[in-house]
Amino acid sequence: MKRLVLEGQVFVRSTYLQYVALFQWANPQGYVAYKVLLPVTQILFFVELGVYATGRQNALYFALGNALQLTANAGIFGVIATVANERQYGTLPILLASPANRLVTFLSRAFVNVIDGIATVVIGLAVVVVIFGLNLQHANLLLLALCVVVISLTTAGLGLMFGSIGLVMRDAIIIANIVYYLLLIVCGINFPVSRLPGAVQVLSFALPLTRGVQAARDAAAGASLGQVGGLLAGELLVGLSWALAGYLLFRLLENWARRGGLQEAY
Amino acid sequence: MRSLARAALSAFRVSMRLRVISPWAYLNWLVFPVLFAAVGLYVLSTPGAASSHVVYGVLGGGLIGYWSVAYLDGGNGIQDERWNGTLEQIFATPTPLWVILLGKICGGLLFGLLAFLPTAAFAYFGFHAVLPALDAGRFVISLGVLTLSFFCIALTLTPLFALWRWAFSMLNGFELGVYVLCGFMFPVAILAPWAQGVAGVLGPTWAVRALYASTLSEGPHDYASWWLATIGLSLAYLAGAYFLYSLVERRARMSGQLAMV
Repeated sequence: MKRLVLEGQVFVRSTYLQYVALFQWANPQGYVAYKVLLPVTQILFFVELGVYATGRQNALYFALGNALQLTANAGIFGVIATVANERQYGTLPILLASPANRLVTFLSRAFVNVIDGIATVVIGLAVVVVIFGLNLQHANLLLLALCVVVISLTTAGLGLMFGSIGLVMRDAIIIANIVYYLLLIVCGINFPVSRLPGAVQVLSFALPLTRGVQAARDAAAGASLGQVGGLLAGELLVGLSWALAGYLLFRLLENWARRGGLQEAY
Repeated sequence: MRSLARAALSAFRVSMRLRVISPWAYLNWLVFPVLFAAVGLYVLSTPGAASSHVVYGVLGGGLIGYWSVAYLDGGNGIQDERWNGTLEQIFATPTPLWVILLGKICGGLLFGLLAFLPTAAFAYFGFHAVLPALDAGRFVISLGVLTLSFFCIALTLTPLFALWRWAFSMLNGFELGVYVLCGFMFPVAILAPWAQGVAGVLGPTWAVRALYASTLSEGPHDYASWWLATIGLSLAYLAGAYFLYSLVERRARMSGQLAMV
């Protein structure tokens, strides 16, 4: 029990430090630029693109999909940037030399970004409601909220996986950029996954967002938990798998870097 | 004059060398454009959509890449100088700032043009999409006018990045807004009237309109007006840039806080 309390303290402290030192949008200008302007313009761009291609009647399909994909802004960019910033600020060797529980330290990297991801989606959904008149009268709001939380967790899981690569890659934030925009193509955000080639569809269902966005669309249309439970369970499983793979990769690369004294060599 | 040209050429050469080894440059001219072209082509080739829409997918990714490299390289070039601790040296040299930026931005534009290659190849091999009614002469002129407009915008924006650190973040956050207002992947005509008004004061909007018109047989083809509008607006930006450069030089020397703003 005492050990659990201690680990809890490490988690809280690590999360707090991660926020004050590594959360790169923790100033008004940065937050407005990347957490308000970027989401709003992303939604506007893809909705107008969709409207031009398929007509005004489909605006909400694009609006909702892109609002939900914004979780990746925090889950992918935020989490990967956390490790990248450790490296940039010269604290990575100190972190790797500390005796703190690795799993706790690892998961604490994502916590603030999960909360931030939820906040970003709320901003995105507010934009969709105000500008595009998303009608949530028949929506299952609690379920929609649950979907947003689940998607935020699962995208952070993917972020942890790619964040680990930051241990051995100097420009890991480039990976974040690629993954973020790749999710727009393969996760059914702007067009159904069924239009993708077979092999890419397999990748789609191995990634977060695909099932979560589908579940959220159903929830917005009024579906019940029973109807989308399978999708959400699958989404969580995918996110956990990526987080676990990320943790294993983190340990592998950490040991590798420590054995060779290579913490800052990449 | 010759020494200024030599300085600009030197800035061009150094910036090109740095670009060749920078993974960010490849992200901007190769990866981003293809990713955007992929989304664009999938959405624009939705069953039932007009076939002429696909043109926006073919060129749209390239335009996005071109713009990204053009303004990012100018702006990020200044941020990089700041982070590398060389911004003060650039300001302290007898060569005017605009001459150094001229070289850097020309390098960015040349590199940015590359963005059209992977997107066109992706559109052709992935979607069998081509430009159906290409008017090569007008297309080339429109691209030239667009390049002038990108050049003027990059030259105008860059002093802002030197003056205020947050200016780059703001523009970076608004990047997709520029795609919307300049009609990179769909016509500006579908936007709300007030947004069309804002788009009208952006030089690239008119050049992009001319560029797309040169690939389509239907719709208006008022090239001369569009080119003139772009050129006029671009020259207006340059006039504004003149005052901005004076302001930056003065502020930088007066406050001595260039690396801290």
